[in-house]
Amino acid sequence: MKEKFARWDTLFLLYLKRDWKKITIWILGIGLFSAAYVPAFEEIAKGKGLLGMYETLQNPAMIAMVGPTPVETARDYTLGAMYAHEMLLFCGVVAMVITVLHVISHTRKEEDLGLTELVRSFQIGRQANSLAAMMETVFINVLLALFIGGVMMSFGADSISVEGSFLFGASIGMAGIIGAVIALVMAQVMPVSSAATGSTLGIIGLLYIIRAGTDVSNVNLSMINPLGWTYLTYPFTENNWTLLIFAFIFSLIMVVIAFALEGSRDMGAGYLPEREGRGNAKKSLLSVRGLFIKINKGVMIGWSIAFVLMGAAYGSIYGDMQTFLESNEVMKQMFSSSGVSIEESFTSTIMMVMLGLVSILPIAIVNKLFAQENRSLLSQIYATKVTRIQLFWTSIGLAIFASLVGILLAAGSLGGTAISAMGDSSTMDTLDFLAAGYNFLPSVLFFTGLAALALGWAPKLGKVVYVYLGYSFVINYFGGILELPEWFSKTAIQSWIPRMPMENFDALIFITITVISIALMVIGYLGYSRRDMIEGA
Amino acid sequence: MSEIVNIQGLQKCFGKFRALSDVSFTVNAGEVVGFIGPNGAGKSTTIRILLGIINRESGNAEIFGKDVWKDSLEIHKRISYVPGDVTLWGNLTGGEIIDLFLKLHGGGDKQKRDALIKRFELDPKKKAKGYSKGNRQKVGLIAALSVDSDLYIFDEPTSGLDPLMEAIFQEEVEKIKKSGKSILLSSHILSEVERLADKVVIIRQGEIVESGSLNELRHLTRSAITIATERDVAEMANLNGVFDFKQKDNLATFSADNKHLDDILMQASKLGVKKFESVPPTLEDLFMRHYEG
Repeated sequence: MKEKFARWDTLFLLYLKRDWKKITIWILGIGLFSAAYVPAFEEIAKGKGLLGMYETLQNPAMIAMVGPTPVETARDYTLGAMYAHEMLLFCGVVAMVITVLHVISHTRKEEDLGLTELVRSFQIGRQANSLAAMMETVFINVLLALFIGGVMMSFGADSISVEGSFLFGASIGMAGIIGAVIALVMAQVMPVSSAATGSTLGIIGLLYIIRAGTDVSNVNLSMINPLGWTYLTYPFTENNWTLLIFAFIFSLIMVVIAFALEGSRDMGAGYLPEREGRGNAKKSLLSVRGLFIKINKGVMIGWSIAFVLMGAAYGSIYGDMQTFLESNEVMKQMFSSSGVSIEESFTSTIMMVMLGLVSILPIAIVNKLFAQENRSLLSQIYATKVTRIQLFWTSIGLAIFASLVGILLAAGSLGGTAISAMGDSSTMDTLDFLAAGYNFLPSVLFFTGLAALALGWAPKLGKVVYVYLGYSFVINYFGGILELPEWFSKTAIQSWIPRMPMENFDALIFITITVISIALMVIGYLGYSRRDMIEGA
Repeated sequence: MSEIVNIQGLQKCFGKFRALSDVSFTVNAGEVVGFIGPNGAGKSTTIRILLGIINRESGNAEIFGKDVWKDSLEIHKRISYVPGDVTLWGNLTGGEIIDLFLKLHGGGDKQKRDALIKRFELDPKKKAKGYSKGNRQKVGLIAALSVDSDLYIFDEPTSGLDPLMEAIFQEEVEKIKKSGKSILLSSHILSEVERLADKVVIIRQGEIVESGSLNELRHLTRSAITIATERDVAEMANLNGVFDFKQKDNLATFSADNKHLDDILMQASKLGVKKFESVPPTLEDLFMRHYEG
């Protein structure tokens, strides 16, 4: 025991000291994001707000996105019930993702960077680092939980009870811890940190999508999903603390597994074996394009699988929609009066969500060029006849190609599954789904253009494009729920695009945004062709 | 002799930091130029400007008579480069990366590649993330040495290599030199520069402080002299051009200005010389003189 964990406490204190700024921003950021919207929700709840919201959120598309509520009649739908319903799952996932990145960067990443090697040469146990990082993460999430509970309680709103507030906070903190333990296990299994991060985020994505399906079809099935142990605690209504105990036991088991795995592997090694490579390059690698495809292959394949799964998961919900409508008189009236079928409405909402995720891939590909530049990977290539035109436009070309394929996979998989789920009652064909998907192409190009602009003029800002994507995503995600002012929602690029098939295609907007995006890329190139390469800075 | 590289009054700032304030030197055809200076003196910045990776603020830089920024592609067809810290894509093997570099450079000799892989004892089937620093450096070197170029630019090429591999590198550079190619060799390892270079350029804080052939540089400085005489050697101490005089019985060591060597010898011969050794300054002495003084 001593051999394994000696002086973990020293490391633990060191980490707190090292990370205190990050921890402060983390807790304030996620804490306020999760807890501070109570006044805003009070606004929504005024008059018939709660009633309307209750009906809106009965829509399967909404359940797939934000999760279900245990409340059975609109009358019992309180402010607290609404807050937990709309916010808890989303905030839990955000807390989870941040925690995953933190855990991997302090365990596997440090191992890859050679820091662990140095640390282990001191009188420090072999697994003390993992234990310290884990303890730090738990500590942060406990603080986060208390902070959220405290802030929510402090508003003193009706139906936001003390117990509910702390359960709400605890559920988010527990979501973080679940993310942390999955990350710790993957950090042992995978051969490098990037694979550990990728696979953990993949697992979380998968859990999210599976629960979207089970929430709509049968909520009880969501109870066997680790993600379900967070948002199904139903704060302010059922206050179901027992689920957190499940989550706690799950986390404990995962930690034990992780430590066992770590204990029996060599530093720097994983459990997935590495194959011996080729002594000579294949012809397909021998060009800038070949190289870039090879470098981005992992992330492209990973996301492609995610798009297909995501489409299939959402698509499978279509079969239950009519049944669902039969059981809900108000919704049925709503849809029959608007002249839009529930399937069409669902498609337009889900398509926007999926296309937000599809946009990540091209941004990642464009940003990769700077990441390589910065790591001096291209030094020897700059000294060949390869031009900057080639480097830049090959990256952009690959990003656009990835966007086109991504949309095809996401929309095609959604359509395919939806049509087979609906069977004879299908009102849409595959083309409708693909059209709805490619309708959003300009927005994907726009994000690619922004990334290209950053690459050319301020490459360190490349990551900010993700922030804008996240912002747009949140605006669109909550746009359907919160009544945002027109100008505000228009700050998200997708809001300009009509939502097919509910709304009609607008060629003018399609072309305008496409042209703007291409202009951004060209301006980006002008910067890229004349700026200094930034190596190792 | 035609000039392959010609740099005049090069300047470059990074923000407020003045990386290069006045860099001028030339590399002639068939010449090996050693480019030496401590960390942060501006060696890599100069080389990056030569490669068109970053642009200069003022001054001129030409390779093969062409502007290094505007005509970089024309230039790149005929040069090879190895950075001091070769970084590689972790998921590609060394062999794949060498092939890629050869292809992107255009041409390259397959047989030479295989021979070099053997000489440098590189395992080309291993993924690059498993390579040590020295092995990564070998990948860069093999790629650069397998192609036929007119100018080779090496930026601390042997960092991380073991002495055996260092020797192999030096042999390879000598081969290139014999075939009349030009080489710009930036290095910390002064013995390496001493062995290979025809000309030395010393940079300090973004300025060239000394340049010339090793012989010329040596001439500017002092030789270390050890002398044993029959009569008392003490009077040597007062001669012009004698410094750091130390005496033990009739044995003395001192450093001597080369231009006063004749007087010193005349005087010494009067004392009955039993032993006389003169060691020319090493490059290290030259180097230290610039950084200590």
